Amino acid sequence: MAASIREKQTAALKRMLNLNLEPSRSSAVEPVWKVLVYDRFGQDIISPILSVPELRDMGVTLHLLLHSDRDPIPDVPAVYFVMPSEENVQRICQDLRNQLYESYYLNFISAVSRQRLEDMASAALQAGTVPQISKVFDQYLNFITLEDDMFTLRHSQNREAISYYAINRGDVQDSEMEASMDAIVDSLFSVFVTLGTVPIIRSPRGNAAEMVAEKLDKKLRENIRDSRNSLFTSDSLQAGQFSFQRPLLVILDRNLDLATPLHHTWTYQALAHDVLDLQLNRVMVEEPGGEKSPQGARPKKKAKSYDLNFTDKFWQSHKGSPFPEVAEAVQRELEEYRSQEDEVKRLKSVMGLEGEDEGAISMLSDNTAKLTSAVSSLPELLEKKRLIDMHTNIASALLDHIKVRKLDVYFEMEEKMMSKQSLDKSLMDMFSDPEAGSPEDKMRLFIIYFICSAQTMSDAEIDQYAVALQAANCDLAPLHYIKRWKAFTKMTAAPSQYGGGGTKTISMFSRLMNTGSKFVMEGVKNLVVKKHNLPVTRVADALIDNKSYQDTEDYRYFDPKMLRVTDSSIPRNRNPVQEAIVFIVGSGNYIEYQNLVDYVKGKSGGSIKRITYGCSELSNATLFLKQLAKLGTELH
Amino acid sequence: MAVDRTNLFQATIKTVKTRNKILNIGSEEAKTTASIHPRPRGEFVARAKDVVQNISKLRDFLLKHRKDYIDATGYLTSEVSKMTDNERDQIDNDAQTFMRTCSEAIRILKTEVLKQPMPQQVRSHREAVFELMESYLKAVCKLYSEQRAIRVKRVVDRKRISRLEPEGRRTGTDMTELRQRHKRARPEQNSEEGDKERDESKVMKNTPASGDPLMEYLEEDEDDELSPEEIQMFEQENERLYNEMNSLVDEVRQIEGKVVEISRLQEIFADKVLQQEVEIDRIADTVVQSTENIKEGNEEVREAMKKDAGFRVWILFFLVMCSFSLLFLEWYS
Repeated sequence: MAASIREKQTAALKRMLNLNLEPSRSSAVEPVWKVLVYDRFGQDIISPILSVPELRDMGVTLHLLLHSDRDPIPDVPAVYFVMPSEENVQRICQDLRNQLYESYYLNFISAVSRQRLEDMASAALQAGTVPQISKVFDQYLNFITLEDDMFTLRHSQNREAISYYAINRGDVQDSEMEASMDAIVDSLFSVFVTLGTVPIIRSPRGNAAEMVAEKLDKKLRENIRDSRNSLFTSDSLQAGQFSFQRPLLVILDRNLDLATPLHHTWTYQALAHDVLDLQLNRVMVEEPGGEKSPQGARPKKKAKSYDLNFTDKFWQSHKGSPFPEVAEAVQRELEEYRSQEDEVKRLKSVMGLEGEDEGAISMLSDNTAKLTSAVSSLPELLEKKRLIDMHTNIASALLDHIKVRKLDVYFEMEEKMMSKQSLDKSLMDMFSDPEAGSPEDKMRLFIIYFICSAQTMSDAEIDQYAVALQAANCDLAPLHYIKRWKAFTKMTAAPSQYGGGGTKTISMFSRLMNTGSKFVMEGVKNLVVKKHNLPVTRVADALIDNKSYQDTEDYRYFDPKMLRVTDSSIPRNRNPVQEAIVFIVGSGNYIEYQNLVDYVKGKSGGSIKRITYGCSELSNATLFLKQLAKLGTELH
Repeated sequence: MAVDRTNLFQATIKTVKTRNKILNIGSEEAKTTASIHPRPRGEFVARAKDVVQNISKLRDFLLKHRKDYIDATGYLTSEVSKMTDNERDQIDNDAQTFMRTCSEAIRILKTEVLKQPMPQQVRSHREAVFELMESYLKAVCKLYSEQRAIRVKRVVDRKRISRLEPEGRRTGTDMTELRQRHKRARPEQNSEEGDKERDESKVMKNTPASGDPLMEYLEEDEDDELSPEEIQMFEQENERLYNEMNSLVDEVRQIEGKVVEISRLQEIFADKVLQQEVEIDRIADTVVQSTENIKEGNEEVREAMKKDAGFRVWILFFLVMCSFSLLFLEWYS
């Protein structure tokens, strides 16, 4: 399976935008104009993958939200990309009645039910617009791809139904649970339809992950059996894609590891997500304005938003590096750019000299060639400058936050806790220090300490810490929930899962002053993180290599292609796994994603080629803490 | 893997139709609304589609003749190449005029359409349509300029390759061309060069022209027997003139190649300059406005100063008059 999930989704979207015909490959194709109408789901799906200029290239002149006021634009085909929900279908019927566009290409993000089709049919008949509905498609694209090998299911306000909170609530009802599970299964099903393969599923027992696995298995099985309408027949595979390897789908529950989402981060992408709230590959950075005005009023801050996507080469190569490395890399890029700029400027002087010469033809040809290459490389240079500016701004914003909240100290302490090294600064000092970070940071630190402590802490100790935390304005609700969680899962073995990590501190002060870099990171430690595996990576590793690891021995094994449903934990298929998909039910984060990416890189030459990371929603520590707080307050 | 549900949808429509007929619901409405079809196609779309079709015609024309135009294997075949240079030039001219008319048409349509009032979304839709048309035209123009650049480059390369051969052989064959006119027998040398040279001799329109006075001179002497020394002298002169012509032609070819490159650069620069033109216009307007504002401001200040002074004098005068009148009255009464 050479193509990543992002490429497949992009190809599907482009085909859809080309009015469901195969896009032709010839140069200078005649443009066909169309209008794109989407709902919030569609918007979340399209925006990380296709930018507005790319939409223009495909001939989309306008893109509008479904539930906004739209003027009739005659003689233009409209491409709809919406979920088949009740209100959406109603709005489409209304559009049909108002005859807004010339022809309608309806693409539903997941399968549309018979009932809704009938509703639309009767509306179309009433409006007399039946011949205008050109195509109706089920796109099965009900997931959001953020990176080449990372996807999530919901974003923005659509994510409430399948968040960690919704699934683990104390008072969740069966029907709501069923609805959440069905939504997750539907999206996972679309992922596999888009990839075109049937996976082998493994999941732990006894929690939401098992439910999801069972339902998904059932759905895939039904679809394969139904040979007439099966989505996985071999003719749907294009040539060159024949893979006799089936990917391994590992479904895990968030409850496996509650420490990682709260962990303070140190890699570029994870920091951007945690501190600057990276949403759908877009970051908002507040830039402070110029000098303060004479009356001492606040400097104007304007917020700029930056897109960080796969066309940005610097981002792709450095999104997983630790922050100090990123700072150095930005410096290097800046110097490279400056030298190239100087070369271009030097041409000006060379040109000036040329007129004095005898005008030998060879000299002339050299200069024109140089001039041509310089002029053609100008757009690239400008683009490079823009990227460098953008990353400089983002990195400085991150640096400011780190300095203010002392995030590096937190990170170091948490790493030490997770690897059971001794702490050089005690927890009480951290909590009583008013400068070190927001109350949330302190709360996160304490929860991680609580989860990772080998021996159960006595209640007195807990109360002591609780008093200190409350003095620092922390909300204690998450703590109640964690206490209960720990009791339930009896994760006394949990700390061993984090072992092997740790940090080394290198004093960066002197080195940086020597290079005179813009990022004067005095006081910010340069922490080098030793390679270690988070619990999720460990489980994935064990399942991929069929190692027997005490926790995964009891995992269930599903194979939708097998005829009978068995309840065994013994894998029948012992082929080496080439591709795996790790899915977390609940909230995922960039730290686990980065860990998996590093794991794959470390295993080059081994069997595994690609691991795709998926989660039902992507939340940073702040959001996750809020969910825990809600759960904690509900306990009382 | 999208699933096509159109057939299912059509089937559903049929079932709903029959159901409605049975229940006799809304059949009247359906008939009246159905009579609205077919809707008249908008004028804008028709004209826009015309322009696009024209551009497509140009593109097809260029692509069809592209193979012959580039003529990659021309120097290998012994026959005449498939397309003479005249035809190539004609294609170039035709394509250029066509492109110019297309861009004119887009511009006219744009100014006309954008003057009409229309809702915001329709306006942005139409602006985007124009952008797409312009980029399509640009892509097709790029096809044309690529072709032309390849052609020029090929000629220059050919010239450069031919210069690598030793001089004697070349001059020999060209002498053959010239001598043949005077029916002198000459051993056929380098027939494999002959084809290449024949192509080039077609291209080199200069040589026959410059050779003419020479030939006339030769023709006058044709009746007389030429002594061997005179023959040699004439040969040398011919050689010399021939080399001069060759180098001139060389330089002209090279300059043409450079000029094409320069024209491409000019295009890029012109693009940028045009982009800046809008900005500069705006800035000029703003500057003019601000100078006017400053002038007005100056005048206002002057007025204020004047009025101030005048006004104060009058007030003082009035007060003094009033006090004098009071004194006067008091003095009287």
